[in-house]
Amino acid sequence: MAELGRAALVLSLGLSVYALVAGAVAAHRNLRRLSTSARNALFCSFASTLVAAAVLASALVRHDFSFAYVAEHTDRNLSTPYALSAFWGGQEGSLLLWLLVLTGFGSLAVFLNRRLLRDLTAWVVPVLGGIGTFFAFMLVAVSSPFGTQTAPLDGAGLVASLQNPYMVAHPPMLYLGYVGLSIPFAFAAGALLSGNTDERWIVATRRWTLVAWTFLGFGQLLGAHWAYVEVGWGGYYAWDPVENAALMPWLAATAFLHSVMIQERKGMLKVWNMVLVALAFELSILGTFLTRSGVVNSIHSFAKSPIGGWFLAFLVISSLFSVALILWRLPLLKAKTKLESALSREATFLYNNLLLVALCLTILWGVLFPIVTQLVKGEQRTIGRPYYDFFLRAFGLPLLFLMGIGPLIAWRKTSLRALARTLFWPIVVTIACGVALVFVGAGSSTPGIIAYSFSAFVLATIVLEFVRGTRATGSLFVLIGRNRRRYGGYIVHAAIVLLAIGIAGSSAYGANVEQRLTRGQSVTVDGYTLTNRGIIQRTTIRAKETRVLLDVRGPWKGQIQTGSNQFFNPPEPAQEVAIKTNWLRAEDLYVIADEVHPATGIVYVQILVKPLVNLIWIAGIVFLLGSGVALWPDAREQRRLVTRLAPARA
Amino acid sequence: MSTRSPARLIIALAVAGVLAVFLVYTAVAGGSTPTLTPSQVAAKTSGKLAVVGIVVGPLAGDSHGTSGLRFQLKDPTGSKPGLVRVVYHGTAPPPLFRVGRSVVVSGTYAGSHLQGTNILTKCPSKYTTATTKA
Repeated sequence: MAELGRAALVLSLGLSVYALVAGAVAAHRNLRRLSTSARNALFCSFASTLVAAAVLASALVRHDFSFAYVAEHTDRNLSTPYALSAFWGGQEGSLLLWLLVLTGFGSLAVFLNRRLLRDLTAWVVPVLGGIGTFFAFMLVAVSSPFGTQTAPLDGAGLVASLQNPYMVAHPPMLYLGYVGLSIPFAFAAGALLSGNTDERWIVATRRWTLVAWTFLGFGQLLGAHWAYVEVGWGGYYAWDPVENAALMPWLAATAFLHSVMIQERKGMLKVWNMVLVALAFELSILGTFLTRSGVVNSIHSFAKSPIGGWFLAFLVISSLFSVALILWRLPLLKAKTKLESALSREATFLYNNLLLVALCLTILWGVLFPIVTQLVKGEQRTIGRPYYDFFLRAFGLPLLFLMGIGPLIAWRKTSLRALARTLFWPIVVTIACGVALVFVGAGSSTPGIIAYSFSAFVLATIVLEFVRGTRATGSLFVLIGRNRRRYGGYIVHAAIVLLAIGIAGSSAYGANVEQRLTRGQSVTVDGYTLTNRGIIQRTTIRAKETRVLLDVRGPWKGQIQTGSNQFFNPPEPAQEVAIKTNWLRAEDLYVIADEVHPATGIVYVQILVKPLVNLIWIAGIVFLLGSGVALWPDAREQRRLVTRLAPARA
Repeated sequence: MSTRSPARLIIALAVAGVLAVFLVYTAVAGGSTPTLTPSQVAAKTSGKLAVVGIVVGPLAGDSHGTSGLRFQLKDPTGSKPGLVRVVYHGTAPPPLFRVGRSVVVSGTYAGSHLQGTNILTKCPSKYTTATTKA
């Protein structure tokens, strides 16, 4: 079976090389039959990668430990879903997943646009072929998942904390996001190579960008929730380089999703959009390089591996390719119109873009800072949470405010008086909210109160938009149905507001107390009184479990258990925190057993009260809902697009 | 934003330049911490730093006791000499903390030992090379 997998990957490599070389020659010389042949090679590379993926999946399900990869990442006790999740649990498998998604997404995108954008897809095929060649080469020559060995009796198993439903979904979602960004990049490069730099490539890839962006965003939220409930340190985001590696391309893609609307409508920001789409793609490659090369320290234990250097080479080549292409085609990327006023919707979008990119580059600077100081000073220096928190507030709060203004401000230009009239009620709501919050005692954190007030402002503008639209159309469903992209976007904005409130509430407010408790002793934190009722230990088939029993009195009454598990295979400990959600007060009581002494009954517990933290997870659902509305096929929009693209085809 | 408007371009570049200087200033002057391996710590006399290394036993004491939790750190590669003594006070280390584990200890270096105030153990993320049972 391993031979079949290896052969399928070699075939994928050959087909990708053919798609690259033959596709480029065909596009350059306008050879239609050769172009079709290159396109078919891309489709076939997906089929052969699918065969390789099926071989690995089958080996994982069958616990075939003659595959070294299967033995290193699973054991016989692992259930089928978790055994399958080991597909992306290791470096080789994740590379295979990357190639599978790339060839699959690429083939589908090219197939769907093969007639409408024939001139453009002729160049998209070699670009996708080039990216595919890199990943197929890595799998064939550098990091193969099909290495074999004499089968051991059992495998090493999967770390217990990774045997979690979130970990089944979180990594593939991030991959779908990372790889999905290759599609708009390939179409942008295709537009530049073909010299057809009108808006067609944007229209053709809008949904692909949205899909990739949704996966990347939701995948990060799943990872954050996993960290919150499973890792047990009380937080959900640590500004670690590995986490930032996923956030940066998402921010660049967010800026792109907004700025393409300006290009579609006004024919502006053409260069900017090319830069953004290239930035998003390169950041996804940079993230992989950073996490696999070991050049920066991370709390995530990604081992140093030989693929880091290869990714660096690919990053340099693809970045140079992108920059050269944009510079070459600069004359074709001139704007059709000018920005008429600093007070207009397009200007607001531009400010939003500058802030998003500034935030993205700030994070990039923080991630690269240890490498820079190593080169300049000879020692690595790392930047901590205060740096990131400062810039999140500095750029994030104005972004939140702009999110409220953007939908209400007119295109082209508006006057201050007209703007004030439009924003009157949202501003009244904002001020009222701010004053009310100070009165209820939320004034202890200035960033917190600003975040809450701006969130109220954005929510008020969204509600206003929905009310006005519903009055005009007579029905909320008709309103959304007629303009899914716009109102889907508003729902996503509402999700970002919930996220902002959740982050502000859980970080700026709340309590964190560490306490030594003897048996029977109590501690009171934020109205909750916790009493140590003893320690229990039990042994299950998987682990030895230690739990502290704590009676809780106050806003919630009952008993909670917190402690740790010592798993048998692999022999790893894991924190088992107690989380009690109080929906009436919209907060979590989060208790970590730091240290447990069963012989004496003495425990050290960390007690956190985290207000509004659950809004972050609810935001994820609203985010999916909004993205779904924006993505939902719209026959009328499709007809509009076909009409619009028709002159360009003629 | 038109390409025919150099004034706007200049303003944009100026804003970007100011921002870049601000970022560099903030990063260099504002709270960055040297992150060293045990072999690099030998060249330090004192100051705040973080040490990345592998825990070497025996582990003595506990983090809540007056004498603290005591252990040593060695280079992650294992090829370079140099051990750093650590005395750690504070919240109990995460459950993954143990001898042989890769950790990051932050604190103040006092010349003879690192007075640790925070321990991060590597998260059990993927891509680690595991050994198989025969």
